[in-house]
Amino acid sequence: MILLQSHSRFLLQTLLNRVQNLEKEIELDHHWVEFDDVRYHVQVSVKNPHILQLSLSLPTSPLETVFVGGLPFGAIEAIKAAYGVIVQILDPPRDGFNLTLKLNLSKLPQDEENRHTLLVKIASVREVVLGAPLRVILKHLASRTVAPDTNQFVALVHRPNESFFLVPQADKVTVVFPMRFKDSIDTVLATSFLQEFMESRRTAGLSNAPPCLWSQSPPLELKGATDDALSANAGFVTFVIFPRHVEGRKLDRTVWNLSTFHAYVNYHVKCSEGFMHSRMRRRVESLIQALNCAKPEQEKTKKTSQTRSFKRLSLKNSRTSSSS
Amino acid sequence: MDPTSRPTVVIDNGTGYSKMGFAGNVEPCFIQPTVVALNDSYLNQTRASSNMANQYSAGVMADLDFFIGDDALLRSRASNTYTLSHPINHGQVEDWDAMERYWQHCIFAYLRCDPEDHYFLLTESPLTAPENREYMGEIMFETFNVPGLYIGVNSVLALAAGCSTSKCDLTGVVVDVGEGATRVVPVAEGYVIGSCIKSIPIAGKDVTLFIQELMRERGEKMPPEDSFEAARKVKEMYCYTSSDIVKEFTKHDKEPAKYIKQWRGIRLKTGAPYTCDVGYERFLGPEVLFSPEIYTSDYITPLPALVDKCIQSAPIDTRRALYKNIVLSGGSTMFKDFHRRLQRDVKKIVDARVQAATALHGGDIKAKPVEVNVVSHPIQRFAVWFGGSVLASTPEFFAACHTKAEYEEHGASICRVNPVFKGMF
Repeated sequence: MILLQSHSRFLLQTLLNRVQNLEKEIELDHHWVEFDDVRYHVQVSVKNPHILQLSLSLPTSPLETVFVGGLPFGAIEAIKAAYGVIVQILDPPRDGFNLTLKLNLSKLPQDEENRHTLLVKIASVREVVLGAPLRVILKHLASRTVAPDTNQFVALVHRPNESFFLVPQADKVTVVFPMRFKDSIDTVLATSFLQEFMESRRTAGLSNAPPCLWSQSPPLELKGATDDALSANAGFVTFVIFPRHVEGRKLDRTVWNLSTFHAYVNYHVKCSEGFMHSRMRRRVESLIQALNCAKPEQEKTKKTSQTRSFKRLSLKNSRTSSSS
Repeated sequence: MDPTSRPTVVIDNGTGYSKMGFAGNVEPCFIQPTVVALNDSYLNQTRASSNMANQYSAGVMADLDFFIGDDALLRSRASNTYTLSHPINHGQVEDWDAMERYWQHCIFAYLRCDPEDHYFLLTESPLTAPENREYMGEIMFETFNVPGLYIGVNSVLALAAGCSTSKCDLTGVVVDVGEGATRVVPVAEGYVIGSCIKSIPIAGKDVTLFIQELMRERGEKMPPEDSFEAARKVKEMYCYTSSDIVKEFTKHDKEPAKYIKQWRGIRLKTGAPYTCDVGYERFLGPEVLFSPEIYTSDYITPLPALVDKCIQSAPIDTRRALYKNIVLSGGSTMFKDFHRRLQRDVKKIVDARVQAATALHGGDIKAKPVEVNVVSHPIQRFAVWFGGSVLASTPEFFAACHTKAEYEEHGASICRVNPVFKGMF
């Protein structure tokens, strides 16, 4: 899995289960958390098995970004456009959450394919809500109209208390991500990963991809932003998005990939660490084999399992010394 | 952004299935088989060239090209590039590379949470080597940067599943019949009596193999490559525990229409449907646990006798409490009436012994009858996960975890110690 998927796997599984057993009365009350501190809560009560209540809580926004009525700019219109009549926004939302939706599962379209697409879209509610302001700006880019406030940067939230910046212009949108990591090893790996990212853009096959730059200091577009917002220990990544990247179906994917860019880098940093561990283990195994070959010939003792862990070291054999 | 304000991630890795989810919920988010399908095509190159070059030529992202769980089973059947690997055998992790990848997918693809934001609760079986706990801690703290980790013993968690705020009885015997291993573990006040743990080499997988053998001997038309899967589904849908196999045989013979069921399956390779009859396997399958001699001649102690032997080897003052609280856990205890049969058989053994003791004294001293109680509830399949969820929702949990700060100070050896074995909980 290279890219993070846009729909929540558990939510999709729950929806599919409910739809298949619509008449069965079960009580469902489940809450879970996704990356970037997005919390979900799903509830189905025995009295109305057709109604599913979904609540969403968004990451706390830093000072630069603006939440209108607790939701990002343009979120409510995006929800109505994406889901139509089966979803009803409850006001006020459930305690502790930014948004509560009431889904009427009996109003889903009847044919299999449309229904599945719609359920996947519902499971991507996070992309719809959090990505709404980004979507508005990119839509303006696709239609080559210019939103009010040009040449000024816009701050959007993507992680708790952190935001990324957009500079919308008539023919392109520049997106700048300040990258911050808590762990020092992660920071080092992320820096080299992002530098590779920038280098790899130069390979022949990727000439259609958005140009990508990495720099240690804040780029010029962000002149005027607060110092807090500009502190980043793994540099700044800049993408330039052209209209051809947001035409038609590519708009959804671009919105998702941009709004979860930091989570994507985080995921790959952890995969790299895991990969390095495998290589380290393989190396240890080969060194132990060399060490075992170098031992002088010993008489075979009667007791094998008890003393084996002292005489022959191996990652795999450590279990046999304490088997029951 | 305090990790203690978010629910803990509870992952219970068993030999057959892994249950994962967030604490505070009644059931896990996902129950997936513990299996990894790896793309090993690059490893078939000659050993002379270095591994990195091969991996690069196999496709730049070959190390990320793997699947876990149900997806893995589907992919390995569909194409030959993926090889299946079971990282856990008999309750112990054997392949740490595969296990690390498994956890990587659990966290990022299934649960989709950021490991730096949550405390983690993992499980292990009571007889794991301390080195295994160290490796677990190392992977969690180094690769995933978790803020805190608690490695729980799965038997104690199964007991904790029955805990409520008023009655928290951490004394009992846990009979855990999973896919790969069956264990009988006595726990006294949260302390696992390690020397009395008994295990049986017969578990869910053997019941499935037995059913597969019976059906094959009878000549049922099952496609050979799907027969194990079909036997497993038959086991889960139609098997029940009988009280007396002789009577069951006569019941089946007298009314075949009522007892013999039809299994309708689809052959995966060709898509052609097939049906087979399911007859005596329905009660002979679970019978393997109660009379192992019908399955194998290597091992003939039935499960109730083993439970009794285990309790008799425990300290004498705990025995009555242990008999009173025999808790079932694991998927293979979900057969209908399993708990009734186990209770009846254990009670028979215990009563016979009490009677023999009374007879020795010539009937003057009457022993108080021993109460045998086998506890069963609908969440047996993931009782360990549920216990972990309950435990991780208590406020004292966060203090009992190993934290990242401790790991950075002292190293992986902090994970060797499990509070449960020290008598503290």
